[in-house]
Amino acid sequence: MKRLINIFGVVLTATLLSAGVAAAASLGLSSGQLSAGSVAVAGCTSSSLTVTRNVDNNGNVTQVSVLSVPQACAGETLAVTLENGTHASLAGTSTTVGACTGGCTVTLSVPGSVSAANLSFYALSLTG
Amino acid sequence: MHRFRLTRPRLVTAILIGSLSFVGVAYAASLGLGSGKLHAWSQTLTKGTCNQTSATADDTYVQQANPTSTSGGTDSNLNIGGAAGSQDYAFIRFDLSGCSLPTTAGADNAALTLTVTTKSNDTISVFPVFSSWSSSTLNWNGLGGLTIGSTATTSFVPSNPGALTVPVTADVDAAIKAGTLWGWELRDTSGTAVSTVGSSENNAAGKRPSMSLSYEK
Repeated sequence: MKRLINIFGVVLTATLLSAGVAAAASLGLSSGQLSAGSVAVAGCTSSSLTVTRNVDNNGNVTQVSVLSVPQACAGETLAVTLENGTHASLAGTSTTVGACTGGCTVTLSVPGSVSAANLSFYALSLTG
Repeated sequence: MHRFRLTRPRLVTAILIGSLSFVGVAYAASLGLGSGKLHAWSQTLTKGTCNQTSATADDTYVQQANPTSTSGGTDSNLNIGGAAGSQDYAFIRFDLSGCSLPTTAGADNAALTLTVTTKSNDTISVFPVFSSWSSSTLNWNGLGGLTIGSTATTSFVPSNPGALTVPVTADVDAAIKAGTLWGWELRDTSGTAVSTVGSSENNAAGKRPSMSLSYEK
């Protein structure tokens, strides 16, 4: 009986640990990168919204703009990471989406000097 | 009925179970599972170049002393003069429609290459133009109908004959987003000399204006 209880304890440990890790893995985040479409969206959008950026005359990115953000996203946090060709972060910025009529353009300032020539990817997230 | 007794091995097992399950759940929570409201996506940029030559250029200069003249549109050089009463302003633009860039694209780098054919030590300021013009019709009297930026994008001194490069990345980036590039006005902002640069009608192809453009979309 004593041995049975100990075996039960080991099995329970493994089960709970697996459940926790499985929950993390279901988000597709084991690589350290968010992957689109693997998380249930609770509302404001499930679209991959388009990003544009402005540059200064030296070719450095000064602002990024996320287009057509639905009104339902007001109050959520919009985060944008600028990445190079190997997905290394060049800069990051975030803001709270404000209220607007219809789809709105959310513009964020980009800190530092990020050369547009080095920019290859945007990674974005909306969290409530 | 067997009575459960809390022995040392059982206590250790219980602590182990609690600790490991906490680690797993905490790991999940740290990745945002707890927020219940997360949407993530990415956008990949396509890079390219669309360099411009005189084939897509239009250029002219307007003359204060001959306010109705459009002869600058066919001259082989563009005059830029600063003398009061006889100023000359040059205009240069490129047709980017062949690049097929959407308005969500942008310039990574853009540089205008001009060839100085008459040098001076005056400063030439480069102003963006935001409205349409054509070398066949633009004259001094038509300047009032143009929308020209009040702040110069950049400036240069044509102190040596030959090619020089003028950065215009911000203007081209904005023009791509606006859908059309209406180019630049080149104005002498420091002196009274007359400088000239080769036009797109210049007999020497190497003296004609060109523009390098690298973009993303």
